[in-house]
Order: sequence, then C-alpha cells, then structure tokens
Amino acid sequence: MNTIAITGLQKAFGPRQVLRGIDLQVPRGELLGLVGPNGAGKSTLLRTLVGLVTRDAGEVAVLGRDPNDHALSIRRDSCYLPGETGVYQQMTGKAFLDFALGFYPRRQQGLYDRLLAGFELPLAQKVRSYSAGMKQKLALIASLVPDVDLYLLDEPDRALDASVRFFLRSVLLDLKAQGKTIVLSSHHLSEVETLADRLEFLLDGAFVAQERLAAARTRLRSHTRVRLAADVALPSGATVLAREPDGTLVLLTDRDPLLWLRDLPPDAVQSAEVGIARLEDLYQLLLDPTTNQRGGHS
Amino acid sequence: MIAKKTWREIRVMVLVYMLILELLAIPVILLWPDIYADLQRSTLLRNMGIDWLKRIGEGVGNRDSDIAFINWAAVMLFFRSTNLVGLAAAVLVGTGLFARERESQTFEFLLARPVSRGSILWQKFWPCALGVTVPIFLVNASAIFWSHCIDYDLPRWQLFLASLHAAIYVLCFLAFTTWISVLSRVQAHVAFWVGGFTIVQIGIYLTQRIRQWSLFRLADFEWYGPIMTGNTPMWEMFDPIRGHGFTTYLLLATLLFYGLAWRALHRAEL
Repeated sequence: MNTIAITGLQKAFGPRQVLRGIDLQVPRGELLGLVGPNGAGKSTLLRTLVGLVTRDAGEVAVLGRDPNDHALSIRRDSCYLPGETGVYQQMTGKAFLDFALGFYPRRQQGLYDRLLAGFELPLAQKVRSYSAGMKQKLALIASLVPDVDLYLLDEPDRALDASVRFFLRSVLLDLKAQGKTIVLSSHHLSEVETLADRLEFLLDGAFVAQERLAAARTRLRSHTRVRLAADVALPSGATVLAREPDGTLVLLTDRDPLLWLRDLPPDAVQSAEVGIARLEDLYQLLLDPTTNQRGGHS
Repeated sequence: MIAKKTWREIRVMVLVYMLILELLAIPVILLWPDIYADLQRSTLLRNMGIDWLKRIGEGVGNRDSDIAFINWAAVMLFFRSTNLVGLAAAVLVGTGLFARERESQTFEFLLARPVSRGSILWQKFWPCALGVTVPIFLVNASAIFWSHCIDYDLPRWQLFLASLHAAIYVLCFLAFTTWISVLSRVQAHVAFWVGGFTIVQIGIYLTQRIRQWSLFRLADFEWYGPIMTGNTPMWEMFDPIRGHGFTTYLLLATLLFYGLAWRALHRAEL
C-alpha cells in the first residue's frame, strides 16, 4: 500500500495557483526527495499532506486517510517539520523537547540519545541563546524522535553545516532501513540525490517529467565551472555561459571538459567542477524555453 | 501540554496583576475612616453637575457609614480596580496568545502537532481565563479581612455576586482580545485594535448623552452599587427579561467572542 497517494491535487491562494494537478505515489519505506526553487509549491504540498492547508481539488490519501477529514489522526502517525519553523525562545532546549515530544504517545529513545550526542546541544540553556543551526537541530530532534510511520521534512538541512548534514543523512537512512517513509525537500540537490530513492522536481506547482529532467541533467554534465588565476587566456573550444561575482566561469566545452582543462597551464586553475548539477543551474535550464523544446515536455 | 506552557508564560503577569489589585485595595479600605470624615465635611461630589459623579458622591457620602463603606467598596474595588487593572490584564494576557506564535514563527509548529485547533484554543484560553478572574475573587475576599481591621464589614454574598460579574466582564474582554489575536499577525495590531476599541468605549462612557451605549455602562458604580447594597438580587443580574440581565449579556458576548476566535482559528491558513 502507498503511504502517500495523490491524484490531481490543486491549490490556489487567491489568484495565485500554487499546485497544478500534482500526481504522486510514495510507497511505504521510500525516501522521496522533493526539490524545486522557492515558491514552487513544496511547502504547500507538505502542508496539504498533514491537513494544515485545505486542497481545492484532487484526491489525497496519507496513511490511507484523507487529510481534509482525518488531519488529526494523520498528524498522530506522522511528523512534520515546517520549513521556517521557530522554536520557543523563552524555553530551555530541554523544556522545548519535552513540550514537542509530549504530544506523541511513543518516542524512539535510542534515536533521541543518538541525536542528543550527535548534535551536542546545551539543553539547559534558553533557546534564545542558540544559533540558527542549533535551533534547527532542536527542531529536528522534535520531528525525528516520535515513533511514527511517516516523516515530512521541509528543508531539514537548513542552517546546518556539512558535518551535521552528513550525520543527519545517516540518521535518515537508518529511519528508512526501519521501514519508515520519508519525504524531504531540500535545496542541496547533490545531497538529496545521494540520499533519496527517488527525486521529484517541483516547478511552478507541477512536477517536471523525469524525461525532461534527465535531458536537462545530461546537458549540464558538459558544463564546467572553473576559477582561473588572473591573466590567463581561455584556450579555444569553450563558450562562456556565465560569469559569477567571485570570478568563477561557467563554460560549455565542445569536447570532453577534462581534456579541455588539460590544455590550461598547471598553475592557472584555482578550482574546477566538471559536470556537477547545481540546483540553480538546473532551474535556469528548466526555465529556459529552448531547453524545454530540446528536452521534451511533461 | 499547551495549557501548562501557557500558564508558564503568564504566571508572572498574573502575580503582578493580583499584587496591583491588592495594593490598590488595602489603602482605600484602611484609610476609609479618614476619607469618610472628609466626605462628610465636603459637599463637592454631591454638588457636581455630572450625574453619575453626583450619584457616586451621594452613595459614598451616605449618612449611614456602613452603607457608605459598601458603596465605597463598589466604587473602588469594582468600578475602578476591576475596570482598569482587570481589563488591562485581560488585554495584556490575551494579546500574545496567537499573534506572538505568528511573530516568532511557532504558529505552524503548534498547528502541526497532533492536537485539534479547538483544543489549542481551549488550552490557551482557560489558563488565561483563570489567571484574570481568580485574582478578582481572591483580592475581594481579602477585602473582608482588611475591613475588619477598621471595624467595618462587607456583605459576603453580595461581594461574591459583584466579583462574579466583574470576573465575567474581564473574561469578555479576554475573549475579545483572543479573537483579535487569532486574526492578527503581530501583537502590535492586537494592541491597536483592542486599545482603540477600549478608548472609544471610554470616550462614549464619558459623554453624558450617549454613555448608556458604552460597554462600561455594564460595569460601573450604578451597577455594582445596587449589587453590593443588596438591591440587585442574583436573578436580576442574570435575567434579561424581568431584570437588567447585564451579567447574562456579558456572558453571551464572551461566548460569542470565543466562538469567533474558534472559527477564525479553524479557518486560519499559514
């Protein structure tokens, strides 16, 4: 049985259509990555699943129940981490966790201890003295420790540094191994890719077809980001697509980028990335009408 | 969980509120013999051109010092303390209930817990309701003790009835503020609307020809005085057909505002 089953989901806020006919099936035990630019509808989609937002049209079943009619029971068996969640500033970290976890009948004590040890939070201190990253860690503990079937995490890696993101990745993979279903949205495309069983790209309220996404990513593989030392002339065979504020050039090479890089003097390259699909590059490509013609439509 | 958290947030405010009520009550009672003597010598209040001030003057200057003291208690404990301090406490406590959650971005976190919105409202409301009403009963009960210190007495049942009406009056403002707090995104907006409404009500009350249309008319000396002196029995407080029924009106208004807050919270989108 699918943990999440959505057909033709639509939602508008006033004249602005936020979700345009979303279809999605998430089987039990799957870790689904949801990526997309700001305002694409990721948060609205997650809010709809737990009944915080009422849909205008379409069918939605979460854990076999309709969020419009059974929001409370869905929230009892799932945990949702809002994207821009605040934590109560006047509470201590410990008091906040006791408050947040007190709503759920069961908690995963082992995971609780592991997260406390991994995050190293000063729980006796008031939350108002915490940094943004520490507050996010606190919200993560509050959202991951309840023993539920489904976790909906809106940008769980927000404000976290690389080592903590790595730790979080291992925690999520362990939850998945236990058969929990996880849907997470993120701006870190490469990290979601290594973590998720499946990736859905939300653009302007609709999922981008997998074929179109694959075509865009194939194109991006020939892109090279290179930062050169001053006064270095570019060898032939490359077109400059963009010049970033820090001097990094985004290039399209007419042959294998690695071979092209070999033509540069050894001291000329300060940094180089070949074929890495950055989310912002992907957005640009997907929003470019010429790419859409080449890559096919959904 | 939510009720406990709410109580933690307001408990200092409630203690300060009770302390202010008590500090206002003690001197006005203990100094009553001197005040009464001054009132007997002066005819200023009784000769004032403003009707309702004149009636207060007549009440507290009554030749029977026991009746004058009861009227004095009605003016000072209820018309002044409850109306001003109680109302301010209700507004201060109610303002942040939901608007602060929105300001600090915890509103979505709270709504995402496995608890209904009706329950969230109730668990936030009842600790505040107790916080603003219980001190009224406690402080007014303490007035009996302070009265004994100056060899006077206050009628217990009438004091309870007046406290009950005062508590419902404050509760009505709390429910109104809660409704505005659910509708508002920042606390300043709640303060603006509730403060504005209150100032308009005070303005209406102080305008001779239209003062009967002010909400303060439901909680002034002309209402508390007869209750305290035993001239308004309990049935008359609650019966809008045969009596004034002001207490029932306030109770209905409280329920209406609570209902509006419930509806607004159920419709609230993020």
